[in-house]
Amino acid sequence: MHQLAATRPARQAVSRLFSLRDLGYRYPDGTPALAGIDLDIFAGDRLALVGQNGAGKTTLAKHLNGLLKPDQGEITYRGQPLAGAHLTQARLEIGLLFQDADDQLFCNSIREDVLFGPRNQGLDPAEAEAAAEAALADVDLLGDAERPPHTLSYGQRKRAALATLLAMQPEVLILDEPTANLDPRQEQLLLDLLLNYPGTLICITHNLLFAYELCQRAVVLAQGRVHHDDSLRELVAHQPSQREHGLDFSFRFAGDPPQPGQGRPAGSPANRQPPLLAMTGYSYRYPDGRQALRDLTFAIRRGDRLALVGENGAGKSTLAGCLAGLRLGLGNLTLDGRTITSRTRRELTRQAGLVFQDCADQLFCPSCFEEVAFGPRQLGWPSAAINAAVTDALQRVRLENFAERVPLHLSGGERKRLALAAVLALRPQILILDEPTAGLDPQGEELLLDILSKFAVTLLLISHDLHFIRRLTERTLVLHEGRLVQDYATDDFFADADLNSLNQLDYSYRSASELRLRELRRKAAEG
Amino acid sequence: MNIDPQATLVLSPLWLVPAALGIMLVATLALQALQRLVEQPLTELGAAAAGGSPLHRWEPRCKLAALLGFALCAVSLTSLWLVLAALLAAAGGQALSGLPWQRPWRRLQAISGFLVMLVVVLPLTATVRPGDILLQFAGLSGLAINLRGLELALLITGKAWTVALLAEPMLATAAPAATLAGLQQLGLPRRAGSLLLISHRYLFVFRDEAARMRIGMQARGFRPRPSWTSLHDLGNFFGMLLVRSYERTERVQQAMLARGYRGVLPQPEKISVLSADWLAAALVLALGLGLLLADRLAGG
Repeated sequence: MHQLAATRPARQAVSRLFSLRDLGYRYPDGTPALAGIDLDIFAGDRLALVGQNGAGKTTLAKHLNGLLKPDQGEITYRGQPLAGAHLTQARLEIGLLFQDADDQLFCNSIREDVLFGPRNQGLDPAEAEAAAEAALADVDLLGDAERPPHTLSYGQRKRAALATLLAMQPEVLILDEPTANLDPRQEQLLLDLLLNYPGTLICITHNLLFAYELCQRAVVLAQGRVHHDDSLRELVAHQPSQREHGLDFSFRFAGDPPQPGQGRPAGSPANRQPPLLAMTGYSYRYPDGRQALRDLTFAIRRGDRLALVGENGAGKSTLAGCLAGLRLGLGNLTLDGRTITSRTRRELTRQAGLVFQDCADQLFCPSCFEEVAFGPRQLGWPSAAINAAVTDALQRVRLENFAERVPLHLSGGERKRLALAAVLALRPQILILDEPTAGLDPQGEELLLDILSKFAVTLLLISHDLHFIRRLTERTLVLHEGRLVQDYATDDFFADADLNSLNQLDYSYRSASELRLRELRRKAAEG
Repeated sequence: MNIDPQATLVLSPLWLVPAALGIMLVATLALQALQRLVEQPLTELGAAAAGGSPLHRWEPRCKLAALLGFALCAVSLTSLWLVLAALLAAAGGQALSGLPWQRPWRRLQAISGFLVMLVVVLPLTATVRPGDILLQFAGLSGLAINLRGLELALLITGKAWTVALLAEPMLATAAPAATLAGLQQLGLPRRAGSLLLISHRYLFVFRDEAARMRIGMQARGFRPRPSWTSLHDLGNFFGMLLVRSYERTERVQQAMLARGYRGVLPQPEKISVLSADWLAAALVLALGLGLLLADRLAGG
């Protein structure tokens, strides 16, 4: 079903906003990024721009805002090339939401950030203030307007970044991975906001469930070229096309949702040995005095496979840091029955392998080999053992031919697997994964799931991804505002109707979207 | 050339004990304060900008001109007693701002670490001039404390404390953007002001990034050691931090351009200057100039 833009039904020229003709672009190092792009975007379009990591989606979005100049071909907005005064005016009408909200929030208070655009639009102070107030109210951040961005939670920063655009009342809104790392409630809030947005919407996302709720049209990029331009409904229903471009998320539908009570009961001892890790009355306070974890009591036994869920800011990553010996709180923490103190927490760091949410925080060496060998070298392993550990770890994450590659030049999925290999090389007793699917395309997710499902290791998975939780874990801990509010079988977690009211984790819309997509797939298969 | 001091007082060496203990105490406190400042999260300028004190209500341009002018007068003083008066006035400003004393107190402790070195070194190294008074300890003929050197060290300490105390009412009682706008109205180039504002914002992001990367290294067993390998790893760490910062700089610039940035940050709404603002500025400047005048008259 390769339907390129040219085959789309002709529309009134007056409604055409963007027109891209034979657009090509190379990165400064000469790597081709976009080639032969022919695309029309019309007023009122709600378009999902999808494709694998590295397909050129963000690069294309930056062309639509005139941030990058094409090396070949041309791009027009409202019939005129994006240059000079027209470009200046166009930027005030086209809002671009960046992946990392910290790139977008460059002022010292949220209010200043939201006022930045309206002031550049030349609004008088009262009008600019009114626009900012309205946008902040829309994203439910009016009470936080004077706060500096770094004091907000991740989800709040993402909403604040959106407010900086909404205040400009843009005609076009381009969103680059808007749902990455958001908890279900924040995702639902964002979806509600965007469903009410009246203008033209272009959404770059790997989250096809989110895109399905929001967009009608799908443009698939592959290796810098437009490979499909059709309705999103058609794309979602047509598995071979998705498979061809690494967008097939049908692995998420494998098997029916389990029934409650079928899983292993929470906390049931697999054996009579002391737990691998146990916390009793454990609390942690950040250096600035904020309480992050409160009175946590639970145990992890060898072979356990746990999920840790909770809203953004619930304290999940902080708990992971404590379990990995990187933060030391108050209360009792034991490893194999031995109490961990400030003197012995290095042993905990050695036994608990933590893969960070943003793998860029974990990768700093000039080659993949060096990266994986870093940990074993720190522990003083002999060269032969280091080489064996690196080879084994790279094989396990299917990066065996990447030893000499530069980590900085790898794709998002490859970097995530490299970070995993760097941790696995240390042969940890427990593997802690913090949001492993963030920013991965469906193919990358499927590969990671396949790799992880083959590991016979104690696992703690921090994630909002229901499918990963369902496939990889048997027990779920629910954290809310630093407290452990549930510790039960994963199947019971999926059947927990009270979860929404309990800690604002509303997975219902994801489940509803999933059901609709299953139905669509079924009909397409029958038809 | 042999210069005779005015007097040489001989003291018992036992006086050295309390002096050494005092210096050690100040140095220890200063080190602890410095460590706390490094370990604790950065506090943003204007963190208490929402207060309701007269200093919060003072128009930023007038406030900056008055307090900077006063600071300039204070550092020009040569009399220890008048510096003490300026220090008391700065402490009064801090009290008037209604801001907690914790942060200025820590700041004073931290700079005292450097100042205590002056207090130790200057009395021992100041050139002896006619009229100087020297303290010598019985049995320690090589150790002479020049009281003029001690006075000079205390003078520098008093001035440094005065300026450090003024920083809080000057910078913490308005939002950074308002303070920078005030500075620009006083002549700071707009580009420099924009750079300062953005640097202040990204200091926190940079610090968080560096902390996460440091934790990432620690999680894989890294401990800094006196070895080439350790230096090499730290080199990789700083290199990667630099690359990430450079990439972020590019993205931030693009995000600014995407929202209509044309080289100049839009200015916050101007705050109207009331006659009370001018009057307050005139009073503070008059106080500073009065101290300076008294100093010159006394010196002359």
